[in-house]
Amino acid sequence: MKKRILAMLLTGVMAATLLTGCGSSTDTVGTDTETETEEPAEGSGDDAVDAAAEGPQTLKVWCWDPTYNINALNVAADIYREEHPNFELDVEEIDSESISAKLATASTSGELDTLPDIILFDDTGFQKNVISYPEIFTDLTDYGFNYEEFSPGKVGMSSVDGRNYGIPFDSGTAIACYRTDILEQAGYTIDDFTDITWEDWIEKAKHVLDVTGCPLLNGLSCYNQITIMLQSAGGSFFNEDGTANLTDNAVLKKTIELYTEMVEAGVYTEETGWDTYIGGMNTGRIAGAMNGCWIMSSIRSAEDQSGKWQITNLPSLDGIEGATNYSSQGGSSWAITTSCENPELAVDFFKSTFGGSTALYDEILSTGAISTWLPASNGEKYTVPDEFFSEQPVFAMITAYSGNVPECYVGTYFQNAMMDVANAVTEIIYSGTDMDSALSAAQDTLTFEMSQQ
Amino acid sequence: MKKASVKMRQNMTGWVFVTPAVVLLIVLSIIPLVKAFLLSLQTGRGSNLTWAGLSNYVRMLQDPTFKQTIITTFEYMVFSVPIMIILGIILAVLLNDQMLKLKGIYRTCIFLPAAVSLVASAVIFRSLFAMDGFVNTVLVGMGILDTPYNFLGHPTSARIIIIIMRIWRWLGYQMIFFLAGLQNIDASMYEAAKIDGANKWQSFWRITLPMLKPMILFTTVMAINSALQVYDESVNLTNGGPGFSSMSLAHYVYNTSFVNVPNFGYSCAMGMLILLMAAIITFVQMKVGDKRE
Repeated sequence: MKKRILAMLLTGVMAATLLTGCGSSTDTVGTDTETETEEPAEGSGDDAVDAAAEGPQTLKVWCWDPTYNINALNVAADIYREEHPNFELDVEEIDSESISAKLATASTSGELDTLPDIILFDDTGFQKNVISYPEIFTDLTDYGFNYEEFSPGKVGMSSVDGRNYGIPFDSGTAIACYRTDILEQAGYTIDDFTDITWEDWIEKAKHVLDVTGCPLLNGLSCYNQITIMLQSAGGSFFNEDGTANLTDNAVLKKTIELYTEMVEAGVYTEETGWDTYIGGMNTGRIAGAMNGCWIMSSIRSAEDQSGKWQITNLPSLDGIEGATNYSSQGGSSWAITTSCENPELAVDFFKSTFGGSTALYDEILSTGAISTWLPASNGEKYTVPDEFFSEQPVFAMITAYSGNVPECYVGTYFQNAMMDVANAVTEIIYSGTDMDSALSAAQDTLTFEMSQQ
Repeated sequence: MKKASVKMRQNMTGWVFVTPAVVLLIVLSIIPLVKAFLLSLQTGRGSNLTWAGLSNYVRMLQDPTFKQTIITTFEYMVFSVPIMIILGIILAVLLNDQMLKLKGIYRTCIFLPAAVSLVASAVIFRSLFAMDGFVNTVLVGMGILDTPYNFLGHPTSARIIIIIMRIWRWLGYQMIFFLAGLQNIDASMYEAAKIDGANKWQSFWRITLPMLKPMILFTTVMAINSALQVYDESVNLTNGGPGFSSMSLAHYVYNTSFVNVPNFGYSCAMGMLILLMAAIITFVQMKVGDKRE
């Protein structure tokens, strides 16, 4: 009997601990959130610098890619620490998709204090996130950040309704890279691929494939390739008023036409995973790469290919108004969250590093992180020839390209549009659907998705 | 105070023991389920949600991508489940043979894929079927193909590879259940059948299969439920591509929350549908399979 009472008591205690455990955690959360909202997140100009010296001196950051973004942050922190010895950065590596998931959790549960002070976002997803989770982003417009010193196209990527929510970071200026030793076997040099049209490119690529057996390009499905081609002529998936524009879109149609031809001729291989995409160029199965200039850090990882690569500009969309040999893909911007207790410090940190230090950009250049802060291109290292890329001054070249990239409307529904177009392209290539009906189905889907929110 | 009867005291003890489990179940399962249902009645971008009644459920009926992904999911189910069950039974019967040597090793080998992380197995399959992967090298080397075939880049072959990967992964898992079932069949039944002149084939159809019936029912229900929730294979092996052609419903649910402009309400509504389908299929199978009444 005594044993039974003891057992009952123990079980009771167990259950009670469980319940109180839940209760108390909810309480803490409640009070934390309250303090958060009471704090005004305002400040400007010189006051901001004084304010920055007060509050906490540690900033917590979420971003991805240790060799690229995290490296850049650490270099920046070292530079900032010279004048602010107490400054600390606490960087947590989280990939872009997991950041989306964590934002969703934090935002829907109202537990904004789980967020760090600074988050990195892909430019194509920045506006989408600001619109979806407005309570997470600090409006930086009045913090006195030197936006005028950045390229306007880049600042636009992280602005919504004329308000700035992001600190511009790296450039996504697109480049075409080719294995010159493989081109040589087919009798070409890099000049044969400079300032050409896509028609011309396809002919030459077919010849390279015949002679060497190597396709010139591969890509993760059609996603990046289509975007790069579309933006090279200033094209978009949307009209300027934000409505879907897939059916009466001459640039898009031309892009898909060329893309289909490339895939069917075998000169472009569609990959399903990032590993096989990068593997293709690193093993020499693919003789080139076309992407944002950040792709260079992946090309460089095959050290035995040093001196065998050269870069040039992109082919242009022949017969399309506004077609250029330049485009962009990727690139990212930093956001400061509303749970940051010392936004003045965060802004000051960015102002004196990513928006004010040529030393930083010189240092991170070797990873391929190219600045969108205009004065950075005056740094010494930008003109140095690059051994890996056959002594080309690649950074000066890319900076020159970036000045020619047409401005494009990205829009909130970019990702939806990309998926719908990719599906249309699949049907055109593999199911033999004609382009007009495939695109009109995609247009219907996209319009439907946009109307449902 | 009135003294409680023995029966009441025993009941009390029972309730106290059950309480922690019930509390956990409510906190971890029931409350989230109810919240998910409430969320499925709301719509909006990200955290700006408004009540919208059944509009998310109506949206499903009109959403072409949803229709495409649900068809793909059913394809995975229809092709992978029967093959998995039939192969599982055959393997279990073969490996249950008293005369067979090294049974443990074979069983472990076949079960091993189920213990491998889905992400890792997806990476293995992707490199197997890559353009310069093992399968292409063998096929080109044997002269069956002239040039490497982009298995994961074509809609039909990509779906077939997902089905193959599911079978490879879950076959051993199913087999273990059938093995357990076989061990429960009394050997004397086979002896009796042998004395009556039944051959192996007859005793398989007349004894093994009927005796395994509850196990077959159980594994089918589990296999169908897991097929309805195919996610990792679709994400890691093909990323749903090309286009949406190999995307499963659960992958699309993820995309509507975390890749596209987030609409948690719509994702929840689709999640509710998966739950409903799994519940109905399980219910029907339980009723069809249960001959006790």
